[in-house]
Amino acid sequence: MKVQAPDGQELELMTVNMGPSHPATHGTLRIFTALDGENIVASACEMGYLHRGFEKMVEQGTFNQVLPYTDRLNYCSSIMNNIGFCKAVEKMFDVELPERCITLRVIVAELSRIIDHLVCVGTNLVDLGALTNFWYFFNPREEVYKIWEKLCGARLTNTFTRIGGLYRDAYVGFEDEVSLVLKSIESAIDDVRGLIEHNKIFVERTRDVCVVSKEDAISYGWTGPCLRASGVDHDLRKDEPYYGYETYDFDSVIGTTGDTFDRIMVRIYEMIESISIIRQALERLKPGPVNSTDARVRLPNKDQVYHDMEALINQFKLIYEGVRPPMGQCYDATEAANGELGFFIVSDGGTNPYKIKVRPPCFMQFAAFSDMIEQSQVADAFATLGSINIIAGELDR
Amino acid sequence: MSDEQVSDQVEEQVQEPSADDVLAGELSELFALQLDRLAQWDLCLIAESDNFIDVLRYLRDKKSFAVLLDITAVDYLSFPGHRDERFAVVYLLKNLETCQRICIKVMVEEDEARLQTVCRLWKNANWLEREVFDQYGIHFQGHPNLKRILNHHQFVGHPLRKDYPVQKRQKLSVNDPMLDQLHQRLEENGYIIIEEAKPGESIQFGEQA
Repeated sequence: MKVQAPDGQELELMTVNMGPSHPATHGTLRIFTALDGENIVASACEMGYLHRGFEKMVEQGTFNQVLPYTDRLNYCSSIMNNIGFCKAVEKMFDVELPERCITLRVIVAELSRIIDHLVCVGTNLVDLGALTNFWYFFNPREEVYKIWEKLCGARLTNTFTRIGGLYRDAYVGFEDEVSLVLKSIESAIDDVRGLIEHNKIFVERTRDVCVVSKEDAISYGWTGPCLRASGVDHDLRKDEPYYGYETYDFDSVIGTTGDTFDRIMVRIYEMIESISIIRQALERLKPGPVNSTDARVRLPNKDQVYHDMEALINQFKLIYEGVRPPMGQCYDATEAANGELGFFIVSDGGTNPYKIKVRPPCFMQFAAFSDMIEQSQVADAFATLGSINIIAGELDR
Repeated sequence: MSDEQVSDQVEEQVQEPSADDVLAGELSELFALQLDRLAQWDLCLIAESDNFIDVLRYLRDKKSFAVLLDITAVDYLSFPGHRDERFAVVYLLKNLETCQRICIKVMVEEDEARLQTVCRLWKNANWLEREVFDQYGIHFQGHPNLKRILNHHQFVGHPLRKDYPVQKRQKLSVNDPMLDQLHQRLEENGYIIIEEAKPGESIQFGEQA
């Protein structure tokens, strides 16, 4: 393609597809670029390769049947999606959750945040050629997956929560295993920080690369670690606390320039904060019920079902029909690993959701990608793509 | 009734109106907006298609609702007791300083499913509006690149409309060369195209529909 550049020079551009199936895109994304040598002068992004009609599928089942689908949104931290969805439906019912359920949700959510960040940073460093860090990070991640396996039988697609509670209580010895895994995560973070933080190659590859200003980040609707990397102090756990996050002692991690270096470092330091939250939560974890006793959302005890007519009808209605939130529309959000994960739910008072819209945090981040990479080099584009953590399952739904 | 309960009630009466009530009052006075009776858990106001952009701009510039969280639509075709326009387009905004959220809803008629774009107010509106167009078939006038985003470019129909059958299958085979988008981006960046790139032989899988 022949073009005339803004400075009047005539250029021969080459068009190159990055993706949709390329190891460095970490998912099926297509970035169509016009290159002048190594420099990207224009790009257009295409998504939808993993679109499976989440929002149409969930209208066909009951509210609890939505949960397994939510696992497949951000599959690096499935439990956080389960929690986000349950919290939105619980808001419609106004259910009171028992203390143990809330604390367990905080523990598994923060552990999920850690493994999500481990994947994001670990694979991002692989794109930069720093393979060792990947091994350092994926070993503790594997240990967390072993805990998930014991907790609910599944590694990736956990479906751990239920509306009004959890699938089951934690197993005996859960606390000790979590404490152990936290230690190995801590040592992995120390190892990786030692390798990269003052590493000349890493710093020069990421410092001032694909900078996103505060104003742009806000205008693009960014949330989560990427927004904080651009210097905006905003975290739902601090600003609109839920599940008692206001009672935990932790810091928000804020970047200064909004470059790729900041986005990676914010994630690394957030893991350290999450470890501290989990340690505090483990201390608070007291024995007790994990499910609400609200008859609208949770099944009655088997003992009651066998001896009490009302409880039997209750069990029958919940099994054969499902939960029925009141008619109306509701938006609720949680701070997921990638940012604000929101669920916009419309209920017609029936057992099936009338409409559910997911607000995937990485949709906004990918929307900005073309603007970010233009005028930089091909290798920078891949370093940046890893740092904004695009998860195709969540992006394409 | 014990003394404690009585004092509780008195306290409730003298409580100041919430930030949501104040904002709702101000907006209904300025733009004659209606409260949405469906949204019992959040602040949601119904705007008209001819003034909703003014409302959104007012919220962004004067009330620091700087973040456009999401744009989506609702198809009320089979909603019990719904008699108004078929679609509603929903804008979710957030104030980063006070963490207040507001939802602005615009009702859209089925025959004239079109609205003005808000691309000039927020950068992410470009892709969010493309998604609403793709899934619901609502057109956004003035949008620079109103193309499908999640579904294949050959797809016919709008899948999230309530009358789109779940079981319907479509055969989609030709990939999108995307050269038009690339040319558009080049021109936006100040390049003048002398000779356009030619689309490569698109790989066709199976029979063409």
